[in-house]
Amino acid sequence: MDQEFMAHVETKVSTPSEPLERGTAAMQLKGVAVSFHGRVAVRDCTFDVTKNRVTSLIGPSGSGKTTLLRALNRLHDLTPGAKVAGQILLEGTDIYRGDITVTELRTRVGMVFQRPNPFPTMSIYENAVSGLRFNGVKKKAILDEAAETSLKSAALWDSVQNRLKVAASNLSGGEQQRLCIARALAMDPEVLLMDEPTSALDPIATLKIEELMTELKKRVTVIIVTHNMQQAARISDDCAFLLMGEDRAGELIEFDTTEKIFNNPIDPRTLDYTLGRFG
Amino acid sequence: MSDMIELEEPRATGHHLRDEIREISDRNRGRRVIRSRIMVVLCAIALSVTAVPLVLLLYQLFRRGLPVILHAGFYTQLPQTPTLISPNATGGVSNAILGTLVLTAYASIMAIPIGVLVGVYLAESDSKLAASLRVTAQTMAGAPSILMGLFAFSFIVQDLHVGFSAIAGSFALAVLMLPVIVISSEIAVRGVPHTLREAGLALGAKPHKVSMKIVLPAAVTGIVTGIILAISRAIGETAPVLLVIGGGYINSWKPLDPVSALPLSIYENAKSEWPSLRTEVWGIALVLVVFVFVLSLSARIWASRKQQAR
Amino acid sequence: MSIVTPPPPDFTSHEEGVPEFNSGTPSRTWYHYVLILSSIVFAAVSVGFIGTIVWNSLPDFAHHTGTLLGGNGWQSPDGPFGGLAMIVGTLETSIVALAIAVVIGLGTSISIVFILPRRFRNVVATLVELLAAVPSVVYGLWGFLVLAPWMLKTVIPWLDRWPYAKELFGNPGQQDGQSLLLASVVLSVMILPTFVAISREVISVVPHDLVEASLSLGATRWQVIRSVVLPTAKIGLFGATFLALARATGETVAVALVAGGVANVQFHLLYPGTSIAAWIATEFGEAQGNEVSALMALGVLLMLVNFGLSLISRALVIRQRRVLAVV
Repeated sequence: MDQEFMAHVETKVSTPSEPLERGTAAMQLKGVAVSFHGRVAVRDCTFDVTKNRVTSLIGPSGSGKTTLLRALNRLHDLTPGAKVAGQILLEGTDIYRGDITVTELRTRVGMVFQRPNPFPTMSIYENAVSGLRFNGVKKKAILDEAAETSLKSAALWDSVQNRLKVAASNLSGGEQQRLCIARALAMDPEVLLMDEPTSALDPIATLKIEELMTELKKRVTVIIVTHNMQQAARISDDCAFLLMGEDRAGELIEFDTTEKIFNNPIDPRTLDYTLGRFG
Repeated sequence: MSDMIELEEPRATGHHLRDEIREISDRNRGRRVIRSRIMVVLCAIALSVTAVPLVLLLYQLFRRGLPVILHAGFYTQLPQTPTLISPNATGGVSNAILGTLVLTAYASIMAIPIGVLVGVYLAESDSKLAASLRVTAQTMAGAPSILMGLFAFSFIVQDLHVGFSAIAGSFALAVLMLPVIVISSEIAVRGVPHTLREAGLALGAKPHKVSMKIVLPAAVTGIVTGIILAISRAIGETAPVLLVIGGGYINSWKPLDPVSALPLSIYENAKSEWPSLRTEVWGIALVLVVFVFVLSLSARIWASRKQQAR
Repeated sequence: MSIVTPPPPDFTSHEEGVPEFNSGTPSRTWYHYVLILSSIVFAAVSVGFIGTIVWNSLPDFAHHTGTLLGGNGWQSPDGPFGGLAMIVGTLETSIVALAIAVVIGLGTSISIVFILPRRFRNVVATLVELLAAVPSVVYGLWGFLVLAPWMLKTVIPWLDRWPYAKELFGNPGQQDGQSLLLASVVLSVMILPTFVAISREVISVVPHDLVEASLSLGATRWQVIRSVVLPTAKIGLFGATFLALARATGETVAVALVAGGVANVQFHLLYPGTSIAAWIATEFGEAQGNEVSALMALGVLLMLVNFGLSLISRALVIRQRRVLAVV
């Protein structure tokens, strides 16, 4: 067994800083399933994402974590043949059938992707405010304020404030990813979805972004997909564990606080995964 | 103090910006979505517009040309000039059909071997020579075809004193086909996975044997596809042959004889004063287009079928 | 893999194909010699191509320096041979054709990549290929016998209703409808496939996660295309434009059949005119001596323009690929 890892888990478990009572739910999933041309990719997802907490979706590859995440901002609308069943509520509104348009949804639920993808033809500033520009915000005062706030939240302001007009491709990988985080944060969304945001980055950049999380969750609710168990243990408050079943569809095995998942899970498969028995 | 003005609940820190953004965003949304829909429709219209000329052209070709090509005489008779007595006596285009076949055959003999070999060379070499040849091929492939006619006129007709002849026209077409075959052959050979080559080398085979026995056979589909497309282009070209083949009115396959060609007879008769000739021209055009389409489509189908078999 | 396919990738960065010519001690077998020999032949043909035309044009440059660009008209058989009318005609028809082709072509490419359901893509790709495969002379025929009368009957009276139409376009110059405008329209149909093929490739290789990222910010489909995809593909789109322009300048027979073949310098699109390539094609048959040399000189001019545009296009497309590699 990985000694270092167990030490990590124990630190986490022995200093629970989060109240065990659930606050309001930012998003609620009820029986959510996603299928492509009839073939089910992930199903049985029912859990509540609590406000101002970091919820991680963990599980081995193929378990449907990313597929589930992308249902939360309706990215599957792009894919022909994709169907999302069940209910996904954002502050009580069904995002698929309720009184909310896709574009509005996406201003309230932002996303950061696996590989840093700043818009290559835009400067750092333009990238940061791109969301606002798309939504019709033109007043410089608002744009400037949003740029500064979001870049500060992404811990990027200090290093870029003097070169905001520089092309975004000049930044390092980790900085580009933080720019993408800032870009998503500039819209001041209620929920921030993150799809393995550090898997393409080096350890130092990874650490920097993980450090952001504790600050970030004060402003937004974070849902993060990660294949790195230790990362989940480090940064998340709640965990959803998904696993691919025999029919090759991913399903939710267990959802609980991180300390429970890693310390005392209900399902034996969860224990197997957290102990590294399969990956 | 009970009549104090009720103070507003202080908003959550940092979220006043959010409200401003949300408000502007909501205001704009309808307009943006409508504009997006309009632009999408415009793009779709552009797509349909692209299809229109082809449809119209095919319609005219079949409508006017089909009656013409259904007569055997079209293929077997030599052209005649209509007279006032017999305004419909146009004869056929046997000389042009034979001419096109002859020109294409000679041009292929000249262009295919060299073109394929150069393409293979470019795929296997990274020298400066290869790089310049590659640029040359790409530039020549886009060159105006009339220039090939000028070249052939100068070189074959005049300098070599061959005169207006099939070989001159073939030479012009060969110069046209050559860069096209070079480019497509290089792409075909480069398309062969390098693991195939490495496997051969790892077995101890000499590099040139690996090329000849392993890589080239794998590239054959692509090479042949490129050749077919080059031929299909050469068949339809008028400008290169216009100046040099002499518009021969007899059936001949001899390289030194003047010949005709299908595109040339279209060009010559399109503005004829005789309606019968103008109608006949549609038949020639139909034959040409059908032939070229069949070649293009077969090349495509064959290429994709071989792709699936891989 | 016809002329309309995008130019091949810049092979100087070699991932595929082991360059065996550069391996250790090359054993020069007959295989190598055959390849090198063919390359020499190809090089010789290309050099001969350029050289012959240039060589034959020299007498004209020597005797009539400068008049090639002059507007004194083209007087056979002894000159002066002023090529300005042809140059102007080429410019006019090419640019108008380009304008039409770019607008429609861009909309088409965007549709193919972003709007069309996947199963129709093959059909449309085939359609574009077929459009490209139609011989030039058939387009000219169609233009002369079908489009021209239609334009005379329908388009021109409609144009007449616009306020400045007469000033811009002139009165219909020729009874049978041949005009520079007709030539431009026919040209635009012919260069459309070239533009669509390249612009489609350039647009489709814009990384998909940029599209997803902008959508995730709440952008509409058009905003994604306009503010992210097109700017990212901008350089390549210019490359497509230049190549389409190059093709337009080189078109011979179609223009010869529909432009009217009149060597006058004028800017009214409804009047007949000519282009460099069309003029060479129509005059060469009867030309003797000095005129031949003058036509060759026109050919040199055409070659310079066409090659220049081609090379610029190639450079742009290569540069576009490098831009995307950094992303």
